Amino acid sequence: MPDAALSPFAPLLLALASLFPLALLALTLAAPGFRPRLATLLWLAPLPGLMAAVFAQGAIVSLPTPLALGLMLDRPGALLLGSAALIWCAAGIAAPAWWGEKLRSLPYQAWWLATLAGSMTVFIAADVVTFYLAFSLVSLAGYGLVTRDGTVAALKAGRVYFALAVTGEAFLLSGFVLLALGAGGETRIAAIVAALPSAPRMAPALVLVLLGLAAKLGLVPLHLWMPPSYGAAPYPAAAVLSGAAVKAGVIGLVRFLPYATPTETLGIALAAAGFFSAFFGVAIGLTQRHPKHVLAYSSISQMGVIAAVAGLSLAAGRAAGPTEIAFYGLHHVFAKGGLFLALAALSMTGNRGRAALLWPAAIVALGIAGLPLTGGALAKLAIKDALGSGWAKTLGSLSAVASTVLMLHFLTLATVMRSRDASAVAPVALRAAWWGTALASLALPWLLFPSVGGSLAATVAPQALYELGWPILAGGALFALLRLWRNRPSLPPGDILAIIRTGEPWLARLSNGVAAIEGFLTDWTVAGAVLLLLALALAGAML
Amino acid sequence: MSAGLLATSPGGDVLVAAIVVPVIGILLLWLVRPRAVEWVALAALLANLGVAVAVLRTVSSSAAPVAYLIGGWQPPLGLALRADGIAAVFMAMAATVLVPVAIYARGAFGAPGERRPMVFWTMLLAITAALNLIFCGQDLFNLYVALELLTFAAVPLVSLDGSRETLKAALRYLVFALAGSVLYLLGVAIIYGAYGTLDLIGLASIRGPDGALLLAIGVMTAGLAAKTALFPLHLWLPPAHAGAPPAASAVLSALVVKGSFFIALRLWFDLLPPERAVAGSTLLGVFGAAAVIIGSAMALRQARLKLLVAYSTVAQLGYLFLVFPLGLGSGAAPFESTAWTAGALQLMAHAFAKAAMFMAAGLVYEAIGHDRIAEFRGLGRIAPLTVLTMTLASISLMGLPPSGGFSAKWLMLTAAFGEGAWWWVLVIAAGGLLAAGYVFRILVPAFTPPEEPIARVKPVVVRREAAALALAVIAILIGFLPLAPWPLLAIGRIAAGAP
Amino acid sequence: MSLAPLDAATLYGLMGAILVGLGLYGVVLLGGFLRRLLAFNLLGGGVFILFGVVARRGAGAGFGGDPVPQALVITGIVVAFCATALAITLIERLTEEDGDDPSGGGS
Repeated sequence: MPDAALSPFAPLLLALASLFPLALLALTLAAPGFRPRLATLLWLAPLPGLMAAVFAQGAIVSLPTPLALGLMLDRPGALLLGSAALIWCAAGIAAPAWWGEKLRSLPYQAWWLATLAGSMTVFIAADVVTFYLAFSLVSLAGYGLVTRDGTVAALKAGRVYFALAVTGEAFLLSGFVLLALGAGGETRIAAIVAALPSAPRMAPALVLVLLGLAAKLGLVPLHLWMPPSYGAAPYPAAAVLSGAAVKAGVIGLVRFLPYATPTETLGIALAAAGFFSAFFGVAIGLTQRHPKHVLAYSSISQMGVIAAVAGLSLAAGRAAGPTEIAFYGLHHVFAKGGLFLALAALSMTGNRGRAALLWPAAIVALGIAGLPLTGGALAKLAIKDALGSGWAKTLGSLSAVASTVLMLHFLTLATVMRSRDASAVAPVALRAAWWGTALASLALPWLLFPSVGGSLAATVAPQALYELGWPILAGGALFALLRLWRNRPSLPPGDILAIIRTGEPWLARLSNGVAAIEGFLTDWTVAGAVLLLLALALAGAML
Repeated sequence: MSAGLLATSPGGDVLVAAIVVPVIGILLLWLVRPRAVEWVALAALLANLGVAVAVLRTVSSSAAPVAYLIGGWQPPLGLALRADGIAAVFMAMAATVLVPVAIYARGAFGAPGERRPMVFWTMLLAITAALNLIFCGQDLFNLYVALELLTFAAVPLVSLDGSRETLKAALRYLVFALAGSVLYLLGVAIIYGAYGTLDLIGLASIRGPDGALLLAIGVMTAGLAAKTALFPLHLWLPPAHAGAPPAASAVLSALVVKGSFFIALRLWFDLLPPERAVAGSTLLGVFGAAAVIIGSAMALRQARLKLLVAYSTVAQLGYLFLVFPLGLGSGAAPFESTAWTAGALQLMAHAFAKAAMFMAAGLVYEAIGHDRIAEFRGLGRIAPLTVLTMTLASISLMGLPPSGGFSAKWLMLTAAFGEGAWWWVLVIAAGGLLAAGYVFRILVPAFTPPEEPIARVKPVVVRREAAALALAVIAILIGFLPLAPWPLLAIGRIAAGAP
Repeated sequence: MSLAPLDAATLYGLMGAILVGLGLYGVVLLGGFLRRLLAFNLLGGGVFILFGVVARRGAGAGFGGDPVPQALVITGIVVAFCATALAITLIERLTEEDGDDPSGGGS
């Protein structure tokens, strides 16, 4: 909604949101002397994005005609842009504390800033080319963050990450081409979505786009990359990847689905896939032994909920869908990103001061399951209408039960995380980043809830407290029962990835097979014969 | 044959300059002092760029082709030079690639006056002249001569260092290319026997769907495919392109293989009756698809950078052949021109990106003394500009925005979807994935900091790094052109299916 | 069935076809660059004869033959000669490098 009192500087702010990190990237590439200083100033890079989210809603930037690139910011975009900017900011404060001197070297800064630039731009892209560019940037540069530790496990995780990122992009690109074709060659997202209901190949186009987004969101079975990648990524990197980068998929759900037109089949299919991920993520998450992996599976589950809400909104033609999804995503940015920062702080803390880290973690973690009065409760309330009152509502409540169980599992694992040095205390910057994020996760949804059409009075009504509260209690009881099961199975992070990896020798064999074919075809006599046959075949085919 | 009447158009003389300027350059090379050779060559290439830009400006401002009748003789007896939109664009493209290549190659072949620099600069200018002749030639036999000139200038570049391997690679290239050119010549004989003329415009006005024409085009296309290294006729390309010195590889991969492709394009789009093109163009598309998949898969296997880049050329040439089924297959009106633009963009983007890539590979070899990909760790630290060049070129090769490669892929996908030809979409998508894979294999180690500092064999010359970088930047800049069929490319096309 | 007397054009056409066939056989199947090069020359010769046939068939206006194909053949012979010279030079260099393999290398 364009604001009448929009500042003339708003478009500039919007452009800076995406260009400022790139300018810093250019600076760190070109001026090695700047790197030590930038290491402690990384938190500045997302600030234009944050300011744009606050002040530039409704702004539009479009480049002169031959360059069909443009930026724009609407309310759902602003919610996600602002929250992503804040978690980037918090992680930028935590990063020097975690990495120390290492952060002064080029690769750390370059990958960080490149991913950040993509992460900011994807929320404000106004056309499919810019969107695809930003989406690719945040995905591919994220590889550098995943593999930053350089261990064998990290490189292995990085390969899976890269493979799925590229696969997702291939789907996305094909989908975008088809969408643009349906809109008569138009590349502006608004025009494309407006033309969608009458476009001839809408269903295949949307399916391709959704497959591309699913790879980013980690919807089963395209989730394979997420647990190993978050496991391998250093904590500050995992915080931005899980908090901000994944939201590139969420903004895709916001932007490209025609919510104004009820689209029954596709919506229900998306909702089914989402709910499946929501429960699958929890089930496998419970078999994990490292809190990072548990958080990754929680992300798979939560992104499943978002996809389900998007699907239901699409099926019912609810115009409010995008805003609700974005609001739910906003809470997840802080909650998930924050919990990774909490883990970082806990792993650097010995015996002292653990409670001050753990209690907020407990509240934020249960907030993900919708603990009443937390920001997470508001997120759950925001999607209440989309879930309706039938089977979807039941599934939604059950997913909250499941999330409670998973978060309690996470908390039990988190309590045992500690520094080997009993007297160690995490650096204050790291703790402050965690507390700040926790506060944001609790408070910001309260501030923003009315602006997305929610009623604060209704959130404290007994009915709401009951609906949000019983899944938590049921989850707690379920978790207590689960604790009785001593020899719970333990699955490797990435579950079926282990099975897929058994196919690697086959891949090598395939490659050898290609080489054998190539060897045969590059024999002189064979190639000569092929040349003659091609001449005859071409002539024969036309005659 | 009145439709074939041509006249020298205003500004047509400039086409003569396009061919004469490089030839004068060659003559001067052998007259001046050895020290001045490189400068003369560079001056000739700059003049050539000026000529190409002049042709492009004339064509685009008048929205009509530029023509010149040699000696004022009308075809079919005389020869005509004619630059339509696509010829003008490709001439400008080739001229733009050649200047940075020359800047890069200066001083790369030993002391002035030796055999190698003389051979290199002579052949480079000969390639320039041959390409210009191919782009604006109108007579099938004239094109044959230009094509042979191109091959004869390219072969010595392969074996410039005189080692046993490169001599064998050069011979393999030469003899296979000769087999291809004989097939082309056979087709020329058949066409002359049937029609009594070899002028493209004249032919287009009198040809019908005769057996002789179809047979001739089939045979000629096979010959041209051998020269373009269309899979599986690529046996000569990897050893030749990987063995040549980097500046030569850049020209061979970026420009020389495109010469024969361009003639095939003329035959199929300007001469062949479209209604007869469906089966044949599908066949070419299938070979192109196989090139994309197998070439990329082979690139994924290579341990050495130059061989990887050479196999990437095999794959990228495959995309070019998808233009035939997409541009001719269904004949669905709007997508014919989309495919046409996609093919032209792919050709140009690949030319710039691949030239940059080969030149960067040469710089890597100089900097660390080898091009084994597994040992690239820390490359980014000792040759940052070169790694940047490889990154930008890779962005275009794997089709990420904004880049010429992305635009080409976008338009190609648009044409494929528009014609409902989903199978080509699968090929394009799979090719993109495999390209991302082989690019990843190069760039990831290059970006990874080394465990211990790797030894720099020789400092890299900034001028040469800048030349390679300039080409990569152009490959990116092409991506800022609008994603739509390009009117310039349609100027002066002999209307398909004209009576 | 009576054998129609062959006119010159048909006879030459058949000869050209035979040469093209022999040449193709040699280029594709013979080992060694030198043999392939000779085969290429046979192949080229066959095509030039076909041009000659075309010239004869296209004869008109009192000429014994169409002059254009003859001009083409002359040019073609020059081109083929250049190709042969270039290839011979390369084969010679390769033999120098190899020393002991006079066939001009394998494939």
